[in-house]
Amino acid sequence: MASNARGGAVAVHPYHQGGPALTGAELMAANPYRPWPARITSITELTATEKLFEFRFIDDAIRDAFCHAPGQFVELSLFGVGEAPISISSSPTKKGFIELCVRRAGRFTERLHRMQCGETVGIRGPFGRGFPLEAMRGHDVLLVAGGLGIAPLRSLINNIHDCRSEFGKVTIIYGSRNPQEVMFRHQFEMWRHRKDFDLYLTVDHADDTWDGEEGLVTKPFEHLEIDAANTFGALCGPPVMYRFVVQEMRKKGIPYDRIYMSFERHMKCGVGKCGHCQVGHQYCCIDGPVFNYWEAKNIQGSM
Amino acid sequence: MLYRVIDRADVPSLVAAFMERYEVVAPVRRGEKYVFEAVSDFDEIALDYPTTIASPKKYFLPATETLFAFDARENAVTDYVDEVRPRVLFGVHACDINGIMNLNSVFNDPRYPDPYYRAHEDATLIVGVSCTPTDTCFCHLMDSEEARPGYDLFLNAIGDRYLVSIGSVTAANILESACDVREATDADRAAFRAATRARQRAFNPAIPDVQEIPMLMDAFHEDAFWDELGGRCLSCNACASVCPTCYCFDIRDTLDPGAETGRRERVWDACTSPQFAMVAGGHNFRATPAARVRHRMYHKLNGFLATHDRSLCVGCGRCAAACKVDISPIAVLEFFERKGADDGE
Amino acid sequence: MSEIERVTDEPCAPRVVFIGLASCFGCQINITNIEKHLLQVLGQIELGYWQLTSSEPMPDAFDVAVIEGAVTTEEAAETVRRARERAGCVIAIGACAATGGIPGMAAPDITGCAAAVYGDAVPEACGVLRAPAPVSALVDVDFTVSCCPVDPFEFVRVLDAALYGSNRLAPTSVLCGQCAQGEGGCLYKRGQMCLGLVTRSGCGAKCPTLGRACNGCAGLSPDANVGAARAFAASRGHDPARFDEALRMFNTVALVAAGEGE
Repeated sequence: MASNARGGAVAVHPYHQGGPALTGAELMAANPYRPWPARITSITELTATEKLFEFRFIDDAIRDAFCHAPGQFVELSLFGVGEAPISISSSPTKKGFIELCVRRAGRFTERLHRMQCGETVGIRGPFGRGFPLEAMRGHDVLLVAGGLGIAPLRSLINNIHDCRSEFGKVTIIYGSRNPQEVMFRHQFEMWRHRKDFDLYLTVDHADDTWDGEEGLVTKPFEHLEIDAANTFGALCGPPVMYRFVVQEMRKKGIPYDRIYMSFERHMKCGVGKCGHCQVGHQYCCIDGPVFNYWEAKNIQGSM
Repeated sequence: MLYRVIDRADVPSLVAAFMERYEVVAPVRRGEKYVFEAVSDFDEIALDYPTTIASPKKYFLPATETLFAFDARENAVTDYVDEVRPRVLFGVHACDINGIMNLNSVFNDPRYPDPYYRAHEDATLIVGVSCTPTDTCFCHLMDSEEARPGYDLFLNAIGDRYLVSIGSVTAANILESACDVREATDADRAAFRAATRARQRAFNPAIPDVQEIPMLMDAFHEDAFWDELGGRCLSCNACASVCPTCYCFDIRDTLDPGAETGRRERVWDACTSPQFAMVAGGHNFRATPAARVRHRMYHKLNGFLATHDRSLCVGCGRCAAACKVDISPIAVLEFFERKGADDGE
Repeated sequence: MSEIERVTDEPCAPRVVFIGLASCFGCQINITNIEKHLLQVLGQIELGYWQLTSSEPMPDAFDVAVIEGAVTTEEAAETVRRARERAGCVIAIGACAATGGIPGMAAPDITGCAAAVYGDAVPEACGVLRAPAPVSALVDVDFTVSCCPVDPFEFVRVLDAALYGSNRLAPTSVLCGQCAQGEGGCLYKRGQMCLGLVTRSGCGAKCPTLGRACNGCAGLSPDANVGAARAFAASRGHDPARFDEALRMFNTVALVAAGEGE
């Protein structure tokens, strides 16, 4: 029903124009489809197929207004190539930049992998519901990542690391297919010598260079001792991993609604409209991508 | 709701009054069928149309819509202004008005109001008209036989008059200026009841009235019935093209021929598209036609209800007419009707 | 493969070659129909080889190979393989290159077809004939521009995707949905047999919009449900044999591959 149909034209401005100056948050909210320019400020090669990109928004107001929770994602634009949803790898405790861990897996990411520091991209977001950091405070946390699933969990791990005293025992299990695919290795090496985290690195297929465990990501559960009543589980990995890891967490006694998992779907619009990320009656982009196991069980076709 | 009575003979002057300030879009005959399109004269309008091939959603969510322009060399958004034409949708049935209400609740979600949709909505007046059900109509089973909010005017046919429900002051002013507007009499009210009674009787009795559809959708989620539907689905998306409430879209960049500038567009897409649920790297979360058809029906008959408390399907029956292999919510209702029946499955 | 690997490190325009195989060359000619935009497109590339504009031989090194036509001879097969080895990106344009197209109709019996035309003595100029095949049957194809002829603007869009990258997917849904968007009414209702039931969408349903049935030139969709389509056509009074015959005009190779050819 018309509220403004008085015979005049209605214009759609991607940019806010005229009127009083808007805050960064208001600018971003005015058109959620509009990407904001950001510069690549650092590129780190993690593996043969993965790179960690650091971006900084060019506009001060946007940079200051951008704040995210671990588990949220952004939509990254290369104009002419398209747009892709990518989960944020950096911790909210570190302001002013965003880190995205990107696997070269298609035409978009291939183009991104060819880009250099100083080049510009478009970023909008953050979108989605992340991990329940506030609820996790004061509790033990068991984090399980498989492969590229470490990307969103790294945000949570680094966040916990930066306010370590606010959490109980923190256990990290990170499984990769082989030693060459282990990401953030030096960071894990560093942590291994500290008491902050109980760290289990596993690979499906070990070689001479590997001194960690060999086996599936569920293997460390065999001798894992946790205080189930006081533990939050958080997992992210390839679709096939979820059922098995959730089963292990349930066997240890972690309640349904304290096992949190991040779903991978193609969030095209990020704002609950385009439908591509629908799973059952939920949209990964606004209702997730992080769901607890109870919610997931109630979503048709989720597991 | 405020309501008044006008004569049928007054409608041309009402349309003429709208045309002074708006583009008027109305049902017109095309071949054997009807479509919504812009008209320049009242005589082009087929106000007693049964239904149109596709719904009027195209005036809120165009099949292709530019979101913004960009400069590919600079990798930056450039300014872009879209002029949205002020428009009257004249002669919209109740199912479609309910369909538009469903689109409103998605696109005006307060978390992320959609500025493009909102511009179309703000520029559009809706004039509804009462209807007679076709063979594939089942709006009454989807709680959509009546448009409650969602229109500026609604013309209920009562013989040679219309009982007009008035939803907005903008439309009230135009109505009053263009027509001889009267208070309704007891005879008008009785005629209105007679009309609703006649319509109630006109629905196709072969379409089963099934209760607790959402729970049935959950309960029979794994039934072989979905393989049967998937086995004959052509993967054509005609259902989504004609549906008043299929709002899914793809977002893509199109470069201008020189490749220096371009546009980011959204174009209609559908969950029945084979690649719809595919993620980077190639994994497809709904890889079979059965999974896709089931998801579409699930969202129409259960999923949307879970989050918006009303059925996304409004029972307009267009998909039943458009589908060449008899896949529609009607087929789903018939399946539930057979399930558990004494002589059924 | 998407963005092309340049042949030199010097910043220079990517070198593009056009290769014409068994076809009418109509797709290449149609590319010139973008008229004023042609110079804009040519401004982005170095035109390394195009028989329609120059008799210079094909260079040894190039970035993008655009191939029109079906592979009908061993010589053509070798040309295609060589192009794949050298080019960072291969684009197949037109029905012949994409599906085997019209030459593909001879796929089930190339010897018989040659004999029917030439009798016992197939001229040497024909080369060593082989069963006609789309380019993708011999080598990996990065991009395909379907239809007979190609839409020249679609060609430009795909060339841009090859030069600059694009995450747009080629649709695999079939044509009827696009036709329904146009609200022209289904041609089956008018008694015509239309192959939109199984043909890859993306062409904009130009033919049905003009009242002409789809002849399948965009190719069978990999997700086509031929059985259900055939049954539907039969329910509207169209003999399944006629449906298959119509489909063979552009899709013989695909039907043979699916075990549905002769």
